[in-house]
Amino acid sequence: MRYLRLLVLFWKASFLVELEYRANFVVRILVGVFWVGVTILSTTVFFTHTNNIGGWDFNEVLVITGLFTLMGGIIQALLQPNVSKIIEMVRLGTLDFVLTKPVNSLFLASLRYSQPFSAVDVLSGSAIVVVALSRMGYIPDGLAVLEFVVMFAMSVLIVYSIWMVMATLSFWFVKVGNLSELFNTVWDTARFPVSTFNGVLRIVLTVVIPIAFITTFPAQAVLGRMDEATLGGAMAMGAILFGFSVWFWRYAVRSYSSASS
Amino acid sequence: MIRKYLAFFRACWAISLEYRAEGFVWMLTNLLSIIMMLVWLSLSSAGPVAGFTSGDFVAYYMVGLIVRHMTGAWTSFDLDTSIREGTLSPQLVRPIHPVHWYVAANWSEKATRLGILLPLVALAFVLTPSAHLDVTPVSVGAFLLSLVGAWLVSFLSDYMIGILSFWTSQTAAFNQVMWGLKLVLSGILAPIQMFPPAVQVVLDWLPFRYMLAFSNEIALGQTQGERLLFGLVVQWAWVAFFFLLTRLMWKLGTRSYSAVGA
Repeated sequence: MRYLRLLVLFWKASFLVELEYRANFVVRILVGVFWVGVTILSTTVFFTHTNNIGGWDFNEVLVITGLFTLMGGIIQALLQPNVSKIIEMVRLGTLDFVLTKPVNSLFLASLRYSQPFSAVDVLSGSAIVVVALSRMGYIPDGLAVLEFVVMFAMSVLIVYSIWMVMATLSFWFVKVGNLSELFNTVWDTARFPVSTFNGVLRIVLTVVIPIAFITTFPAQAVLGRMDEATLGGAMAMGAILFGFSVWFWRYAVRSYSSASS
Repeated sequence: MIRKYLAFFRACWAISLEYRAEGFVWMLTNLLSIIMMLVWLSLSSAGPVAGFTSGDFVAYYMVGLIVRHMTGAWTSFDLDTSIREGTLSPQLVRPIHPVHWYVAANWSEKATRLGILLPLVALAFVLTPSAHLDVTPVSVGAFLLSLVGAWLVSFLSDYMIGILSFWTSQTAAFNQVMWGLKLVLSGILAPIQMFPPAVQVVLDWLPFRYMLAFSNEIALGQTQGERLLFGLVVQWAWVAFFFLLTRLMWKLGTRSYSAVGA
Protein backbone atom coordinates (compact mmCIF):
# COMPACT_ATOMS: atom_id res chain seq x y z
CA MET A 1 0.00 0.00 0.00
CA ARG A 2 2.84 2.29 0.92
CA TYR A 3 4.52 1.35 -2.32
CA LEU A 4 1.42 2.16 -4.29
CA ARG A 5 1.27 5.57 -2.67
CA LEU A 6 4.92 6.14 -3.49
CA LEU A 7 4.33 5.10 -7.10
CA VAL A 8 1.53 7.64 -7.45
CA LEU A 9 3.84 10.28 -5.97
CA PHE A 10 6.64 9.39 -8.39
CA TRP A 11 4.37 9.66 -11.38
CA LYS A 12 2.90 12.91 -10.19
CA ALA A 13 6.38 14.37 -9.81
CA SER A 14 7.43 13.23 -13.30
CA PHE A 15 4.25 14.64 -14.75
CA LEU A 16 4.88 18.00 -13.14
CA VAL A 17 8.41 18.02 -14.54
CA GLU A 18 7.15 17.28 -18.02
CA LEU A 19 4.56 20.03 -17.79
CA GLU A 20 7.49 22.43 -17.65
CA TYR A 21 8.25 21.49 -21.24
CA ARG A 22 4.88 21.80 -22.87
CA ALA A 23 6.25 22.18 -26.38
CA ASN A 24 7.67 18.67 -26.03
CA PHE A 25 4.15 17.38 -25.63
CA VAL A 26 3.01 18.75 -28.98
CA VAL A 27 6.15 17.45 -30.67
CA ARG A 28 5.67 14.07 -29.00
CA ILE A 29 2.12 13.79 -30.33
CA LEU A 30 3.19 14.77 -33.84
CA VAL A 31 6.06 12.28 -33.84
CA GLY A 32 3.74 9.63 -32.41
CA VAL A 33 1.19 10.14 -35.18
CA PHE A 34 3.99 10.11 -37.74
CA TRP A 35 5.20 6.73 -36.48
CA VAL A 36 1.72 5.24 -36.58
CA GLY A 37 1.66 6.23 -40.26
CA VAL A 38 5.11 4.77 -40.88
CA THR A 39 4.20 1.50 -39.18
CA ILE A 40 0.92 1.02 -41.00
CA LEU A 41 2.45 2.00 -44.35
CA SER A 42 5.29 -0.45 -43.93
CA THR A 43 2.88 -3.25 -43.13
CA THR A 44 0.95 -2.33 -46.28
CA VAL A 45 4.11 -2.64 -48.39
CA PHE A 46 4.47 -6.28 -47.40
CA PHE A 47 0.83 -7.03 -48.05
CA THR A 48 0.84 -5.66 -51.58
CA HIS A 49 2.84 -8.79 -52.45
CA THR A 50 1.35 -11.42 -50.19
CA ASN A 51 -1.82 -12.16 -48.30
CA ASN A 52 -0.07 -13.43 -45.20
CA ILE A 53 3.13 -13.08 -43.24
CA GLY A 54 3.98 -16.25 -41.37
CA GLY A 55 0.32 -17.30 -41.64
CA TRP A 56 -1.11 -14.02 -40.30
CA ASP A 57 -3.29 -11.88 -42.55
CA PHE A 58 -3.23 -8.07 -42.74
CA ASN A 59 -5.63 -7.36 -39.90
CA GLU A 60 -3.99 -9.90 -37.64
CA VAL A 61 -0.55 -8.44 -38.30
CA LEU A 62 -2.09 -5.05 -37.55
CA VAL A 63 -3.02 -6.35 -34.08
CA ILE A 64 0.64 -7.25 -33.55
CA THR A 65 1.71 -3.86 -34.90
CA GLY A 66 -0.62 -2.16 -32.43
CA LEU A 67 0.74 -4.17 -29.51
CA PHE A 68 4.25 -3.35 -30.73
CA THR A 69 3.50 0.38 -30.64
CA LEU A 70 1.76 0.07 -27.27
CA MET A 71 4.63 -1.79 -25.65
CA GLY A 72 7.11 0.62 -27.22
CA GLY A 73 5.20 3.40 -25.47
CA ILE A 74 5.40 1.63 -22.12
CA ILE A 75 9.14 1.14 -22.57
CA GLN A 76 9.63 4.81 -23.47
CA ALA A 77 7.40 6.07 -20.69
CA LEU A 78 8.43 3.85 -17.79
CA LEU A 79 11.57 1.84 -18.43
CA GLN A 80 13.97 3.85 -20.57
CA PRO A 81 14.11 6.91 -18.26
CA ASN A 82 14.92 4.77 -15.21
CA VAL A 83 17.44 2.58 -16.98
CA SER A 84 19.41 5.55 -18.26
CA LYS A 85 19.18 7.08 -14.79
CA ILE A 86 20.51 3.89 -13.18
CA ILE A 87 23.44 3.80 -15.60
CA GLU A 88 24.20 7.43 -14.84
CA MET A 89 23.91 6.92 -11.08
CA VAL A 90 26.28 3.95 -11.13
CA ARG A 91 28.79 5.96 -13.14
CA LEU A 92 28.60 9.03 -10.91
CA GLY A 93 28.26 7.18 -7.63
CA THR A 94 24.94 8.80 -6.75
CA LEU A 95 23.31 5.39 -6.49
CA ASP A 96 24.18 5.63 -2.80
CA PHE A 97 21.22 7.95 -2.34
CA VAL A 98 18.92 5.23 -3.63
CA LEU A 99 20.47 2.43 -1.63
CA THR A 100 20.32 4.30 1.68
CA LYS A 101 16.61 5.10 1.46
CA PRO A 102 14.23 2.94 3.52
CA VAL A 103 12.51 1.43 0.48
CA ASN A 104 13.24 -1.56 -1.71
CA SER A 105 16.14 -0.31 -3.84
CA LEU A 106 15.01 -2.04 -7.06
CA PHE A 107 11.53 -0.56 -6.69
CA LEU A 108 12.93 2.92 -6.17
CA ALA A 109 15.58 2.70 -8.90
CA SER A 110 13.36 1.16 -11.55
CA LEU A 111 10.13 3.14 -11.11
CA ARG A 112 11.21 6.54 -9.84
CA TYR A 113 11.17 8.36 -13.18
CA SER A 114 8.77 8.37 -16.08
CA GLN A 115 7.98 10.28 -19.25
CA PRO A 116 4.20 10.54 -19.16
CA PHE A 117 4.05 12.15 -22.60
CA SER A 118 5.31 8.92 -24.17
CA ALA A 119 1.98 7.44 -23.18
CA VAL A 120 0.84 8.88 -26.52
CA ASP A 121 2.17 5.67 -28.09
CA VAL A 122 0.18 3.59 -25.61
CA LEU A 123 -2.99 5.31 -26.80
CA SER A 124 -2.17 5.09 -30.52
CA GLY A 125 -1.12 1.45 -30.17
CA SER A 126 -4.38 0.58 -28.44
CA ALA A 127 -6.26 2.43 -31.16
CA ILE A 128 -4.53 0.34 -33.86
CA VAL A 129 -5.51 -2.87 -32.06
CA VAL A 130 -9.13 -1.77 -31.72
CA VAL A 131 -9.32 -0.70 -35.37
CA ALA A 132 -7.78 -3.99 -36.52
CA LEU A 133 -10.22 -6.04 -34.45
CA SER A 134 -13.22 -4.08 -35.69
CA ARG A 135 -12.02 -4.42 -39.31
CA MET A 136 -12.20 -8.16 -38.77
CA GLY A 137 -15.67 -7.76 -37.27
CA TYR A 138 -14.38 -9.76 -34.34
CA ILE A 139 -15.27 -9.24 -30.70
CA PRO A 140 -13.13 -11.25 -28.28
CA ASP A 141 -15.17 -13.30 -25.81
CA GLY A 142 -14.63 -13.29 -22.04
CA LEU A 143 -12.07 -16.08 -22.09
CA ALA A 144 -10.01 -14.39 -24.81
CA VAL A 145 -10.02 -11.13 -22.87
CA LEU A 146 -8.97 -12.91 -19.69
CA GLU A 147 -6.17 -14.75 -21.47
CA PHE A 148 -5.08 -11.54 -23.12
CA VAL A 149 -4.87 -9.74 -19.77
CA VAL A 150 -2.71 -12.53 -18.37
CA MET A 151 -0.47 -12.68 -21.45
CA PHE A 152 -0.13 -8.92 -21.57
CA ALA A 153 0.79 -8.73 -17.89
CA MET A 154 3.41 -11.40 -18.53
CA SER A 155 4.80 -9.52 -21.50
CA VAL A 156 5.14 -6.34 -19.43
CA LEU A 157 6.89 -8.35 -16.73
CA ILE A 158 9.26 -9.89 -19.28
CA VAL A 159 10.13 -6.54 -20.86
CA TYR A 160 10.67 -5.04 -17.40
CA SER A 161 12.99 -7.88 -16.43
CA ILE A 162 15.05 -7.65 -19.62
CA TRP A 163 15.54 -3.91 -19.17
CA MET A 164 16.47 -4.27 -15.52
CA VAL A 165 19.04 -6.95 -16.31
CA MET A 166 20.53 -4.59 -18.91
CA ALA A 167 20.60 -1.76 -16.38
CA THR A 168 22.20 -3.99 -13.77
CA LEU A 169 24.97 -4.87 -16.20
CA SER A 170 26.10 -1.25 -15.88
CA PHE A 171 27.58 -2.14 -12.49
CA TRP A 172 30.36 -3.89 -14.41
CA PHE A 173 30.33 -2.25 -17.85
CA VAL A 174 30.28 1.49 -17.99
CA LYS A 175 28.97 1.84 -21.52
CA VAL A 176 25.66 0.01 -21.49
CA GLY A 177 24.03 2.56 -23.75
CA ASN A 178 24.86 0.45 -26.75
CA LEU A 179 23.26 -2.56 -25.15
CA SER A 180 19.89 -0.84 -25.16
CA GLU A 181 20.54 -0.03 -28.82
CA LEU A 182 20.96 -3.74 -29.35
CA PHE A 183 17.69 -4.40 -27.59
CA ASN A 184 16.02 -1.83 -29.82
CA THR A 185 17.19 -3.70 -32.89
CA VAL A 186 16.07 -7.12 -31.74
CA TRP A 187 12.92 -5.35 -30.60
CA ASP A 188 12.13 -4.57 -34.24
CA THR A 189 11.44 -8.27 -34.83
CA ALA A 190 8.43 -7.82 -32.54
CA ARG A 191 6.67 -6.01 -35.41
CA PHE A 192 6.17 -9.38 -37.08
CA PRO A 193 4.58 -12.61 -35.93
CA VAL A 194 7.32 -14.89 -34.69
CA SER A 195 6.23 -17.51 -37.24
CA THR A 196 7.72 -15.25 -39.95
CA PHE A 197 11.13 -16.44 -38.92
CA ASN A 198 12.39 -19.92 -39.52
CA GLY A 199 14.46 -22.47 -37.70
CA VAL A 200 17.01 -21.33 -35.19
CA LEU A 201 15.96 -17.69 -35.17
CA ARG A 202 12.40 -18.57 -34.18
CA ILE A 203 13.70 -20.62 -31.28
CA VAL A 204 16.06 -17.81 -30.26
CA LEU A 205 13.23 -15.26 -30.38
CA THR A 206 11.02 -17.52 -28.27
CA VAL A 207 13.38 -18.88 -25.66
CA VAL A 208 16.63 -16.87 -25.57
CA ILE A 209 15.38 -13.34 -26.26
CA PRO A 210 11.69 -13.89 -25.59
CA ILE A 211 10.37 -11.40 -28.15
CA ALA A 212 7.58 -13.81 -29.10
CA PHE A 213 6.05 -13.47 -25.63
CA ILE A 214 5.87 -9.72 -25.98
CA THR A 215 3.68 -9.22 -29.06
CA THR A 216 2.90 -12.47 -30.86
CA PHE A 217 1.48 -14.41 -27.93
CA PRO A 218 -0.71 -11.64 -26.49
CA ALA A 219 -2.05 -11.10 -30.03
CA GLN A 220 -2.86 -14.80 -30.24
CA ALA A 221 -4.65 -14.53 -26.93
CA VAL A 222 -6.88 -11.64 -27.95
CA LEU A 223 -7.65 -13.44 -31.21
CA GLY A 224 -8.77 -16.47 -29.16
CA ARG A 225 -5.99 -18.77 -30.33
CA MET A 226 -4.29 -19.47 -27.07
CA ASP A 227 -3.34 -22.96 -25.99
CA GLU A 228 -2.57 -24.02 -22.42
CA ALA A 229 1.04 -24.80 -23.18
CA THR A 230 1.82 -21.27 -24.38
CA LEU A 231 -0.13 -19.76 -21.50
CA GLY A 232 1.79 -21.84 -18.99
CA GLY A 233 5.05 -21.16 -20.79
CA ALA A 234 4.46 -17.42 -20.63
CA MET A 235 3.76 -17.49 -16.90
CA ALA A 236 6.86 -19.59 -16.31
CA MET A 237 8.95 -17.29 -18.52
CA GLY A 238 7.67 -14.20 -16.72
CA ALA A 239 8.32 -15.67 -13.29
CA ILE A 240 11.79 -16.95 -14.17
CA LEU A 241 12.95 -13.73 -15.81
CA PHE A 242 11.53 -11.53 -13.06
CA GLY A 243 13.09 -13.74 -10.40
CA PHE A 244 16.42 -13.59 -12.19
CA SER A 245 16.36 -9.82 -12.57
CA VAL A 246 15.60 -9.36 -8.85
CA TRP A 247 18.37 -11.78 -7.88
CA PHE A 248 20.82 -10.16 -10.30
CA TRP A 249 20.07 -6.70 -8.93
CA ARG A 250 20.62 -7.86 -5.34
CA TYR A 251 23.84 -9.58 -6.33
CA ALA A 252 25.05 -6.43 -8.08
CA VAL A 253 24.16 -4.16 -5.17
CA ARG A 254 25.99 -6.45 -2.74
CA SER A 255 29.18 -6.28 -4.76
CA TYR A 256 28.81 -2.57 -5.45
CA SER A 257 31.46 -0.31 -4.03
CA SER A 258 30.39 3.27 -4.47
CA ALA A 259 32.40 5.32 -6.91
CA SER A 260 32.13 8.61 -5.09
CA SER A 261 33.09 7.84 -1.53
CA MET B 1 44.53 20.34 -45.24
CA ILE B 2 45.67 16.75 -45.65
CA ARG B 3 47.99 17.08 -42.65
CA LYS B 4 45.13 18.41 -40.55
CA TYR B 5 42.97 15.48 -41.56
CA LEU B 6 45.73 13.03 -40.65
CA ALA B 7 45.95 14.57 -37.20
CA PHE B 8 42.18 14.31 -36.82
CA PHE B 9 42.29 10.69 -37.93
CA ARG B 10 44.89 9.80 -35.36
CA ALA B 11 42.77 11.33 -32.62
CA CYS B 12 39.57 9.63 -33.78
CA TRP B 13 41.36 6.33 -34.25
CA ALA B 14 42.56 6.42 -30.66
CA ILE B 15 39.02 7.17 -29.49
CA SER B 16 37.50 4.30 -31.42
CA LEU B 17 40.16 1.82 -30.27
CA GLU B 18 39.33 2.82 -26.73
CA TYR B 19 35.75 1.66 -27.22
CA ARG B 20 36.26 -1.53 -29.17
CA ALA B 21 33.57 -3.47 -27.33
CA GLU B 22 31.14 -0.72 -28.20
CA GLY B 23 32.04 -1.19 -31.84
CA PHE B 24 31.09 -4.81 -31.60
CA VAL B 25 27.68 -4.05 -30.19
CA TRP B 26 27.25 -1.42 -32.87
CA MET B 27 27.87 -4.07 -35.50
CA LEU B 28 24.98 -6.03 -34.11
CA THR B 29 22.67 -3.11 -34.76
CA ASN B 30 23.04 -4.03 -38.42
CA LEU B 31 20.63 -6.77 -37.41
CA LEU B 32 17.74 -4.62 -38.61
CA SER B 33 18.77 -5.10 -42.24
CA ILE B 34 19.17 -8.80 -41.62
CA ILE B 35 15.76 -9.03 -39.99
CA MET B 36 14.15 -7.34 -42.99
CA MET B 37 16.04 -9.71 -45.27
CA LEU B 38 14.68 -12.69 -43.35
CA VAL B 39 11.12 -11.36 -43.59
CA TRP B 40 11.46 -10.98 -47.36
CA LEU B 41 13.09 -14.41 -47.62
CA SER B 42 10.11 -15.91 -45.86
CA LEU B 43 7.79 -14.13 -48.35
CA SER B 44 9.85 -15.17 -51.39
CA SER B 45 10.22 -18.82 -50.37
CA ALA B 46 7.19 -19.71 -52.50
CA GLY B 47 8.42 -17.78 -55.56
CA PRO B 48 9.89 -14.45 -56.66
CA VAL B 49 8.32 -11.29 -55.19
CA ALA B 50 8.06 -8.43 -57.72
CA GLY B 51 10.91 -9.96 -59.70
CA PHE B 52 13.13 -10.55 -56.67
CA THR B 53 14.23 -14.14 -56.05
CA SER B 54 15.53 -15.22 -52.65
CA GLY B 55 19.07 -14.78 -53.99
CA ASP B 56 18.28 -11.20 -55.03
CA PHE B 57 17.04 -10.36 -51.54
CA VAL B 58 20.23 -11.74 -50.01
CA ALA B 59 22.38 -9.78 -52.49
CA TYR B 60 20.31 -6.62 -51.97
CA TYR B 61 20.53 -6.66 -48.20
CA MET B 62 24.17 -7.75 -48.07
CA VAL B 63 25.25 -4.91 -50.38
CA GLY B 64 22.92 -2.76 -48.29
CA LEU B 65 24.90 -3.60 -45.16
CA ILE B 66 28.03 -2.20 -46.76
CA VAL B 67 26.28 0.86 -48.18
CA ARG B 68 24.61 1.62 -44.84
CA HIS B 69 27.91 1.18 -43.10
CA MET B 70 29.72 3.51 -45.49
CA THR B 71 26.99 6.15 -45.39
CA GLY B 72 26.07 6.05 -41.71
CA ALA B 73 26.04 9.50 -40.10
CA TRP B 74 25.57 10.55 -36.50
CA THR B 75 26.97 14.07 -36.60
CA SER B 76 23.63 15.58 -35.56
CA PHE B 77 23.91 13.92 -32.12
CA ASP B 78 27.43 15.25 -31.53
CA LEU B 79 26.64 18.66 -32.91
CA ASP B 80 23.44 18.91 -30.85
CA THR B 81 25.40 18.13 -27.67
CA SER B 82 28.22 20.53 -28.56
CA ILE B 83 25.84 23.36 -29.28
CA ARG B 84 23.72 22.77 -26.20
CA GLU B 85 26.60 22.35 -23.78
CA GLY B 86 28.74 25.06 -25.34
CA THR B 87 31.69 22.82 -26.23
CA LEU B 88 31.35 24.07 -29.78
CA SER B 89 32.97 27.37 -28.81
CA PRO B 90 36.60 26.15 -28.67
CA GLN B 91 36.05 24.46 -32.03
CA LEU B 92 34.77 27.67 -33.53
CA VAL B 93 37.90 29.63 -32.70
CA ARG B 94 40.19 27.06 -34.30
CA PRO B 95 41.53 27.97 -37.73
CA ILE B 96 39.65 25.08 -39.30
CA HIS B 97 35.93 24.65 -39.88
CA PRO B 98 34.43 22.24 -37.28
CA VAL B 99 32.75 20.19 -40.01
CA HIS B 100 36.15 18.73 -40.89
CA TRP B 101 36.42 17.24 -37.44
CA TYR B 102 33.02 15.60 -37.86
CA VAL B 103 33.96 14.27 -41.30
CA ALA B 104 37.19 12.81 -39.95
CA ALA B 105 35.36 11.20 -37.02
CA ASN B 106 32.83 9.76 -39.44
CA TRP B 107 35.48 8.26 -41.72
CA SER B 108 37.73 6.81 -39.06
CA GLU B 109 34.83 4.96 -37.42
CA LYS B 110 33.96 3.47 -40.78
CA ALA B 111 37.54 2.36 -41.35
CA THR B 112 37.79 0.58 -37.98
CA ARG B 113 34.66 -1.40 -38.62
CA LEU B 114 34.82 -2.14 -42.32
CA GLY B 115 37.42 -4.83 -41.67
CA ILE B 116 34.89 -6.85 -39.69
CA LEU B 117 31.93 -6.25 -41.99
CA LEU B 118 33.50 -7.10 -45.37
CA PRO B 119 34.47 -10.72 -44.56
CA LEU B 120 31.01 -11.37 -43.12
CA VAL B 121 29.30 -10.06 -46.26
CA ALA B 122 31.68 -12.04 -48.47
CA LEU B 123 30.84 -15.17 -46.48
CA ALA B 124 27.13 -14.58 -47.02
CA PHE B 125 27.70 -14.41 -50.79
CA VAL B 126 29.75 -17.63 -50.72
CA LEU B 127 27.01 -19.40 -48.77
CA THR B 128 24.28 -18.15 -51.13
CA PRO B 129 25.23 -19.21 -54.67
CA SER B 130 22.00 -17.70 -56.06
CA ALA B 131 23.00 -14.19 -54.94
CA HIS B 132 24.43 -12.42 -57.98
CA LEU B 133 26.16 -9.09 -58.41
CA ASP B 134 26.61 -7.17 -61.63
CA VAL B 135 30.38 -6.87 -61.91
CA THR B 136 31.25 -4.84 -65.00
CA PRO B 137 33.61 -1.84 -65.16
CA VAL B 138 30.64 0.47 -65.74
CA SER B 139 28.55 -0.82 -62.85
CA VAL B 140 31.47 -0.92 -60.42
CA GLY B 141 32.43 2.64 -61.34
CA ALA B 142 28.83 3.81 -61.10
CA PHE B 143 28.43 1.98 -57.78
CA LEU B 144 31.44 3.73 -56.26
CA LEU B 145 30.29 7.11 -57.55
CA SER B 146 26.80 6.51 -56.17
CA LEU B 147 28.32 5.40 -52.86
CA VAL B 148 30.18 8.69 -52.48
CA GLY B 149 26.96 10.49 -53.41
CA ALA B 150 24.98 8.41 -50.91
CA TRP B 151 27.45 9.22 -48.17
CA LEU B 152 27.24 12.94 -48.99
CA VAL B 153 23.43 12.99 -49.05
CA SER B 154 23.26 11.09 -45.73
CA PHE B 155 26.02 13.05 -44.05
CA LEU B 156 24.85 16.47 -45.19
CA SER B 157 21.19 15.86 -44.36
CA ASP B 158 22.19 14.65 -40.90
CA TYR B 159 24.55 17.61 -40.50
CA MET B 160 21.62 19.85 -41.46
CA ILE B 161 19.53 18.42 -38.60
CA GLY B 162 22.50 18.99 -36.31
CA ILE B 163 22.75 22.63 -37.34
CA LEU B 164 19.06 23.06 -36.47
CA SER B 165 20.17 22.79 -32.82
CA PHE B 166 21.27 26.42 -33.10
CA TRP B 167 17.60 27.36 -33.06
CA THR B 168 15.67 24.46 -31.52
CA SER B 169 16.05 21.91 -28.75
CA GLN B 170 13.93 19.38 -30.63
CA THR B 171 16.76 17.87 -32.66
CA ALA B 172 15.94 14.42 -31.31
CA ALA B 173 12.42 14.67 -32.74
CA PHE B 174 13.76 15.73 -36.15
CA ASN B 175 16.12 12.79 -36.02
CA GLN B 176 13.27 10.42 -35.24
CA VAL B 177 11.25 11.68 -38.17
CA MET B 178 14.29 11.46 -40.44
CA TRP B 179 14.92 7.90 -39.31
CA GLY B 180 11.29 6.97 -39.93
CA LEU B 181 11.43 8.37 -43.45
CA LYS B 182 14.73 6.65 -44.14
CA LEU B 183 13.48 3.35 -42.77
CA VAL B 184 10.59 3.22 -45.21
CA LEU B 185 11.72 5.32 -48.18
CA SER B 186 15.45 4.69 -48.53
CA GLY B 187 15.12 0.95 -49.05
CA ILE B 188 15.88 -0.49 -45.61
CA LEU B 189 12.40 -1.87 -45.03
CA ALA B 190 11.88 -2.98 -48.61
CA PRO B 191 13.58 -2.55 -51.98
CA ILE B 192 11.99 0.38 -53.84
CA GLN B 193 10.64 -2.05 -56.46
CA MET B 194 8.24 -3.41 -53.82
CA PHE B 195 6.32 -0.13 -53.75
CA PRO B 196 3.39 0.67 -56.06
CA PRO B 197 4.59 2.27 -59.35
CA ALA B 198 3.15 5.68 -58.46
CA VAL B 199 5.16 5.76 -55.24
CA GLN B 200 8.29 4.71 -57.11
CA VAL B 201 8.00 7.70 -59.42
CA VAL B 202 7.84 10.05 -56.45
CA LEU B 203 10.79 8.32 -54.78
CA ASP B 204 12.87 8.89 -57.91
CA TRP B 205 12.81 12.59 -57.08
CA LEU B 206 13.18 12.51 -53.27
CA PRO B 207 16.60 12.24 -51.61
CA PHE B 208 15.92 9.05 -49.63
CA ARG B 209 16.40 6.49 -52.39
CA TYR B 210 19.83 7.99 -53.08
CA MET B 211 21.00 7.24 -49.54
CA LEU B 212 20.85 3.46 -49.97
CA ALA B 213 18.59 1.72 -52.48
CA PHE B 214 20.07 3.41 -55.56
CA SER B 215 23.56 2.00 -54.86
CA ASN B 216 22.12 -1.44 -54.09
CA GLU B 217 20.23 -1.45 -57.38
CA ILE B 218 23.40 -0.58 -59.32
CA ALA B 219 25.33 -3.38 -57.63
CA LEU B 220 22.58 -5.85 -58.51
CA GLY B 221 22.47 -4.61 -62.10
CA GLN B 222 18.84 -3.51 -61.79
CA THR B 223 19.41 0.13 -62.64
CA GLN B 224 21.31 0.61 -65.87
CA GLY B 225 21.69 2.87 -68.88
CA GLU B 226 19.51 5.94 -68.98
CA ARG B 227 17.91 5.29 -65.62
CA LEU B 228 21.34 5.03 -64.06
CA LEU B 229 22.41 8.33 -65.56
CA PHE B 230 19.17 9.98 -64.46
CA GLY B 231 19.68 8.64 -60.92
CA LEU B 232 23.23 9.94 -60.67
CA VAL B 233 22.14 13.39 -61.85
CA VAL B 234 19.34 13.57 -59.27
CA GLN B 235 21.60 12.22 -56.55
CA TRP B 236 24.32 14.78 -57.14
CA ALA B 237 21.74 17.53 -57.47
CA TRP B 238 20.65 16.65 -53.93
CA VAL B 239 24.29 16.67 -52.83
CA ALA B 240 24.67 20.19 -54.22
CA PHE B 241 21.38 21.26 -52.62
CA PHE B 242 22.30 20.01 -49.14
CA PHE B 243 25.82 21.39 -49.49
CA LEU B 244 24.59 24.90 -50.23
CA LEU B 245 21.81 24.69 -47.65
CA THR B 246 24.08 23.57 -44.82
CA ARG B 247 26.64 26.25 -45.69
CA LEU B 248 23.97 28.91 -45.50
CA MET B 249 22.46 27.50 -42.31
CA TRP B 250 25.86 27.24 -40.64
CA LYS B 251 26.57 30.88 -41.43
CA LEU B 252 23.22 32.04 -40.04
CA GLY B 253 23.50 29.70 -37.05
CA THR B 254 26.97 30.70 -35.90
CA ARG B 255 26.05 34.36 -36.29
CA SER B 256 23.15 34.05 -33.87
CA TYR B 257 24.91 31.56 -31.57
CA SER B 258 25.62 32.62 -28.02
CA ALA B 259 27.24 29.62 -26.36
CA VAL B 260 25.40 28.35 -23.34
CA GLY B 261 27.52 27.28 -20.43
CA ALA B 262 30.91 28.16 -21.83
